[in-house]
Amino acid sequence: MSDPVSGIGLALVILGLALSTLVTRTSFLVAGARLRLSHRAEVALRYAPVCTLSAIIVPDVLFHGGAALDLAPFNPRLVGVIGAALWLSWSRNIVGCLATGMAAYSLARVYL
Amino acid sequence: MISGVAMVKGGLAVPWAIAMSLLVYAGSAQLAALPLIVAGAPLWVIVATGLITNLRFVIYSAAIRPYFADRSLGRRMALGYFMTDFTFVRFMRSAQEGSMPGAHRDSWFAGVCSSNWITWQVSAITGIIGASYVPTEWGLEFTGTLALVALVGPSLNARPAVVGAIVAAAVALFTHALPFKLGLFCGALAGIIAATLTDAFQKPEPPAPANATEAA
Repeated sequence: MSDPVSGIGLALVILGLALSTLVTRTSFLVAGARLRLSHRAEVALRYAPVCTLSAIIVPDVLFHGGAALDLAPFNPRLVGVIGAALWLSWSRNIVGCLATGMAAYSLARVYL
Repeated sequence: MISGVAMVKGGLAVPWAIAMSLLVYAGSAQLAALPLIVAGAPLWVIVATGLITNLRFVIYSAAIRPYFADRSLGRRMALGYFMTDFTFVRFMRSAQEGSMPGAHRDSWFAGVCSSNWITWQVSAITGIIGASYVPTEWGLEFTGTLALVALVGPSLNARPAVVGAIVAAAVALFTHALPFKLGLFCGALAGIIAATLTDAFQKPEPPAPANATEAA
């Protein structure tokens, strides 16, 4: 493993990310009535989380760090995500979702 | 706890991971920024990723604003900063059920937020310190991805969201080779455009009650 990341650069990153937390969470609370979003912008913002997360998750599962697509049906990460998704289809419990996903992922890595 | 383990497994030194947990206090933004930090991406890219991942809080802050419009600026900022997905949902539910004392709703919200903050920080720091005792072979970093799946799953309940997610994933896959995780931006942007278009196409006029069942 490489050396742990640290230093001034990381301090700036942490401050920047803390600022991003503060700015987004207080945006409307602070700007209040002065900040008016168009209807279309509101709609777009509503779908921003689901699109961002999808753009993060899917490449992470199908590339898993390498440069080549892994479309094999027995890609353990894919198995894990499917397991987690099945759990989510009948329960919102996040701990159960993680446990199911990790179980499916581990079994796939050992046996497939 | 997942964000804690993931940060250390990703290569962050323990004190820095703790500082990040305490100050940033946004699990999904931390998880999303982590690979960029490890890869040495430029500061603006990392902060932009944090902003995008935190965008849902803009909507939350718009939703709770009416309840705190008469409070001081400092109080509004403090309440906003400590708001999370969980405390937001708790607050809105209680506010709509009317089970919250009206005059003291900022105290009520502060109570929910502070207990949530303590629980989150204790488990995150446990994860940070405990991470070195967990072998890499367990693949625990995968829990980060699963946590995002748990976050995204319940939002896939309407057609525009599903279309947006599919487009975002496809574009992100095709642009994966771009540096600095810019594929993430391309994918997210394309997905948002697709979802907005689907939304507009689905209900060209303000939703009529007759169409509501059909759309669902």
